[in-house]
Amino acid sequence: MTLALGIVLAAVVVLVVALPFLREPTTVDDRLDAPGEDEVRRLGLIEERDRALAALKELEFDHRAGTLGDRDYRELVGPLRQAVASALRALERDRSYGLGMTAFEPPELPPEPSPPPDEGTLPMPEPVPEPYPPPDEATIPQE
Amino acid sequence: MADLGRAALVVSLGLSVYALVAGTTSAVTGRRRLAASARNALYCSFGSTLIAAIVLATALVRHDFTFSYVAAHTNRTLPTAYALSAFWGGQEGSLLLWLLVLTGYGALAVALNRKLLRDLTAWVVPVLGGIASFFAFVLVAVASPFGTQTAPLDGAGLTPSLQNPYMVAHPPMLYLGYVGLSIPFAFAAGAMLSGRTDERWIVATRRWTLAAWAFLGFGQLLGAHWAYVEVGWGGYYAWDPVENAALMPWLAATAFLHSVMIQERKGMLKVWNMVLVALAFELSVFGTFLTRSGVVNSIHSFAKSPIGSWFLAFVVISTVFSLTLIMWRLPLLKAKTKLESALSREAAFLYNNLLLVALCLTVLWGVLFPIVTQLFKGETRTIGRPYYDFFLRAFGLPLLLLMGIGPLIAWRKTSARALVRTLAWPIVVTVVCGIALAFAGAGSSKPGLIAYTFSAFVLASIVLELVRGTRVTGSVFTLVSRNRRRYGGYVVHAAIVLLAIGVAGSSAYGRSKELRFTPGQSATISGYTLTLNSVRMTHTPNSNQTRAIFTVGGHWHGTLSSGTNQYFFPPEPSNAVGIKTDWLRAEDLYVIADDVNLKTHVVYAKVLVKPLVNLIWIAGIVFLLGAAITLWPDAREQRRLVTRLAPARA
Repeated sequence: MTLALGIVLAAVVVLVVALPFLREPTTVDDRLDAPGEDEVRRLGLIEERDRALAALKELEFDHRAGTLGDRDYRELVGPLRQAVASALRALERDRSYGLGMTAFEPPELPPEPSPPPDEGTLPMPEPVPEPYPPPDEATIPQE
Repeated sequence: MADLGRAALVVSLGLSVYALVAGTTSAVTGRRRLAASARNALYCSFGSTLIAAIVLATALVRHDFTFSYVAAHTNRTLPTAYALSAFWGGQEGSLLLWLLVLTGYGALAVALNRKLLRDLTAWVVPVLGGIASFFAFVLVAVASPFGTQTAPLDGAGLTPSLQNPYMVAHPPMLYLGYVGLSIPFAFAAGAMLSGRTDERWIVATRRWTLAAWAFLGFGQLLGAHWAYVEVGWGGYYAWDPVENAALMPWLAATAFLHSVMIQERKGMLKVWNMVLVALAFELSVFGTFLTRSGVVNSIHSFAKSPIGSWFLAFVVISTVFSLTLIMWRLPLLKAKTKLESALSREAAFLYNNLLLVALCLTVLWGVLFPIVTQLFKGETRTIGRPYYDFFLRAFGLPLLLLMGIGPLIAWRKTSARALVRTLAWPIVVTVVCGIALAFAGAGSSKPGLIAYTFSAFVLASIVLELVRGTRVTGSVFTLVSRNRRRYGGYVVHAAIVLLAIGVAGSSAYGRSKELRFTPGQSATISGYTLTLNSVRMTHTPNSNQTRAIFTVGGHWHGTLSSGTNQYFFPPEPSNAVGIKTDWLRAEDLYVIADDVNLKTHVVYAKVLVKPLVNLIWIAGIVFLLGAAITLWPDAREQRRLVTRLAPARA
């Protein structure tokens, strides 16, 4: 009885361990699905975005709760909004122009038409977008 | 059936080794089917170990004394629950439980993360396979629970002090904690091996770490209560090496749970977090080495056995492996940002980490000291309670204070003026409490008074945080349910405060007297009058029970009995203490009558009054509640993670 149970156990184990090869005896693509450089970069940007967003939400919450004073809030909120904005811009850029550019590398845009004479050559400052917390979340940050 | 158990363990060893070798090969060469096969081997390893565990449990319940292990740890009169608890009451059985939990945890962690973190789990499988291979090897080759013999008429029985309901739950809790620390370690090692040292391994193991830490913490409290009611020396924590062996990884894991928040928030302390994860894991295995090697004297130790050297070798090899990995991946673990201010929440977490690790290393030195002196001086010198008490005060009191300050400081930086304004209310509460306590006589112990006032400060800051948060969200329920991690953490902080008050109250303000009684003689302690009423002996099938019966007057009226039990199987004595909990006065009257002379009716007893000791046990319940809040699944968080971690297909 014990011997039979042992044999059954060994057979089941061999079968389960060999299952991936039994299912696909031959395969065109046996490569492990590892993220490439672009995917790693995208994950890094998402990480940066989420980190900045979470920090921003916590800052807003602490300010509303009264843990953080107005002066400290004003001092801290700017850099955090900028961090969120740059991460979002970089992600957007990757989506629009393809992966492969660094977060702070300006995209290769088509040449701008010549500016009208009254605007001169001064570049327009890019507006800093407001962060957009997902609608299903309260303003409470995740710690 | 023993053959089946043995065969299952050999199969488990083979599968674990296969998971290690095939897993490493597949991760290095990037072969998908081989990686899946290694993963399946890990799952099967759990199944095979489960079969071995069922065989042993069946033998224990059926009192099958052909199993040497069953005969050595049970007898026919042992109730079924205690017969089952003998599974972890002995060396071999407890190692089998370790392997069962390890393969079970490992299989579940890998199965849950195999799709989202495919590149990471490819390396996690061989790491878990390596750890499981070690335990399976020890079980197969060094300490098998499936040794057989000609069945004796009856077994030797379970050690009397282990025949206690707490012993049914306390060791499995500790194992769930110890072994649970293998999961964050395996994912951290996997992250370093794969070169993916981003936050995904932290996200994947957050709940595993929390669960392991909660089991370890609650398991220790269960053990403390067992010591209090069963061992009968009047205390709950003796700084015993084996007790310390559970405390050290818990301290390291506590430090990790705090510092990992800085990594998530700021991308800092990546190296430090890797070190802490490795430290917590190594200390959990080191604790097992201490328990099983017989190198230190402890009431908890298993008999001296050859497995100690195997465990030591494993600790050394895994430590070298961890340090090599960290050194190799240092460039990837560099922080992207710096600490901006010494007055910030991350700075408070950093101070908390330094104190926790300092306390952990101090305890480690206390545990190692007898071994070091034996090695270098040829004589064993032990470090006593004053050493531990001193460092507990030196590191524990500032930690308590930081627990109140940390949540009230903002991330990044806080101005001194804002900090003072934020802390104003807790400080006022603390000062008022301190003055009131000093007037009430708590000034007789300065550390006790400091612990009480710091506790008041922490509680005030927690209440302030809850009130402020509730003002924003409208209800406490919404506040806690929307941010379980933060507010569950505060509940755990409240539990630690209760623990601190209980420890300070029972140790700094406790009273004790060693008394000699003859029948009719009375003695008074802290308002309780004890009179020896009678002395008697009763016989049970497994023991002779000697009791001294006291009539108690004063603060409480009633009778209290205490004495000793002399067991037959195995022939060992055990104390039976008398405890009366006075909930109104928040204290215990505790009587240890361990010298009862049945001929002369003279009784020597130690009588203790322990204020607030029950807060320690209440702290355990609050701790569980806080841990449950932080661990409760959050559907929104899960959705966010899936969106975040899913590979881009667009």
